[in-house]
Amino acid sequence: MTTLSGEFRRDLEVRRYPILVYALAPLVALVLQAWLPRFFKSYAWFDLPLVITVYFSLVHRVPIQGSLMGAGMGLFEDALTSHPIGVNGIAKTVVGFLASSMGIRIDVENHTIRLGLTFFLSLLSSVIYLFVYRGVLGLSQEWSWLTELFKAIGNTFIALVLFPALDRLQIRE
Amino acid sequence: MDSFFIRYRNLVVLLTLLVVQIVGLAVQVRRTGAGRNSLDPQDGASVRLIRLWADAVVTPPERLIHQSKMGIVGMWQGYIDLRHTQAENQELQKTIDRMRLEQAALLEDAKQGQRLQALVNFREKYIYKTVAAQAIGASGSDQSKVFYLDKGSADGLDRDMAVITPDGIVGKIRDVFPHTAQVLAINDQTSGAGVILETTRIRGILRGNALGQPQIVGILADQRIQPGEKVLTAGGDLIFPRGLPVGVVEKIVRDPEPDRDGFIDVIVKPAAHLDQLDEVLVITSTESRFPPEQEKDLATSEALKGPEAAAIAEQKKASAIMAERLPGLIDPNLPPDQQPLLDSSSPTTLTHPPMALHPDRFTPGGIPQPKADQPSADNTEAKPATPATPPRNPQP
Repeated sequence: MTTLSGEFRRDLEVRRYPILVYALAPLVALVLQAWLPRFFKSYAWFDLPLVITVYFSLVHRVPIQGSLMGAGMGLFEDALTSHPIGVNGIAKTVVGFLASSMGIRIDVENHTIRLGLTFFLSLLSSVIYLFVYRGVLGLSQEWSWLTELFKAIGNTFIALVLFPALDRLQIRE
Repeated sequence: MDSFFIRYRNLVVLLTLLVVQIVGLAVQVRRTGAGRNSLDPQDGASVRLIRLWADAVVTPPERLIHQSKMGIVGMWQGYIDLRHTQAENQELQKTIDRMRLEQAALLEDAKQGQRLQALVNFREKYIYKTVAAQAIGASGSDQSKVFYLDKGSADGLDRDMAVITPDGIVGKIRDVFPHTAQVLAINDQTSGAGVILETTRIRGILRGNALGQPQIVGILADQRIQPGEKVLTAGGDLIFPRGLPVGVVEKIVRDPEPDRDGFIDVIVKPAAHLDQLDEVLVITSTESRFPPEQEKDLATSEALKGPEAAAIAEQKKASAIMAERLPGLIDPNLPPDQQPLLDSSSPTTLTHPPMALHPDRFTPGGIPQPKADQPSADNTEAKPATPATPPRNPQP
């Protein structure tokens, strides 16, 4: 894995996207996340807002931006559930921050690294979610790690398709 | 100081975001009397506002997608795929006629039940009014089994109303917005419905587990509970009317809590297809009387049955009342198949009294010794005009 200094990586490439992509990609992810489980039923092993958060955090490499995006996506997801608002928010805030920080340090142009990061950050998001729900809030919640593992694998598969597609939408100078 | 914030601005922003969200979470959780934390069932104003915003963003596209899908399906079913419709229509008409007759009989029983309940000051609540709604979206999280309806407070929906399908119960309305409503399904971990096992009459609380299966939690182990037993609503939760189908027992597992030996969880296979919900009914009103539609159906059914059937029913009712008044010839200590009146193996249905310990002349079948100063039995029989003893039963 190539490790580079933060400033060098930032100077190497600054990706920019049409404003419509910034507006629509998170929105479409949130809507599809709320709608698709009706068809996948119990097999909805994916988290589209998390994949989008990881992608934009990695390519922008600005931790504040990544944290804010993660917080926004997580809070929105929480608002659609019956759970307290903020559990997903905290998990995805950390995920956005870490993805952006890693984007500075490592070569995220490598597709394999991006997929590996998506898998790792998906599992980390589940761990933080459970920690906040049980540890911080003291609420009871049954948990299936197998489902979380499947979800991480599902997110990785979606990233495999989605990341190259979003790469094509960037503005090239 | 400025340089500190500039240097660590990323971490400062991260920590600020985390602290704000943790404080926000603390507001939403409350401590119960039992020393446990629980989620406040009623969202605060600010939390509700956030949920309303999220709903306002997600619902319009979901509604559009759903309506497009329903339009295509409707066009296919209404105009293109019309094979066998005529035959199906005739079959359905026969089914309706048959069910009307059955319904009339059942409603008659229910009315009688109402009269009896009135005597003991108990009032059964019947589903009086329902609103049909379409499920248009879900929470998107496998940890939260909620879904959204395309109807809201503008259509008469309110919090804690029961949501059902003709197959069984689905959940209850958790939150209601002007044009949408959030439904908490029975397989969510935070849900709770009072249920009863049909045969064993064991009561419990139904809620979801981590795998999204509804289960009756924390009941004492009982060998009588077997897979396949029906589960019904108990009616004690003041949300679901009593007697609605919930599902059947799928399997019994030990309570996973380490300090609860002897307790079991009963996994229930839900009667309603919780994963394939399209149209549901929201019970907006329950009354202690039948809704007008059912009364109308009852009248139609009675008319269909005709006066002859009504006369037969009256005769049956009169016979039943008479049977209740007559003394019973059934021995309560014997099982039903050994009751003397029902024993087909015996050629005669007559039973004989046990032999008397000290027989006298009044004892049936007894042969008293004639005394010297009294007329003999033969003499007595020779004077039938003045019988001194009651007539004896002939011995077989």
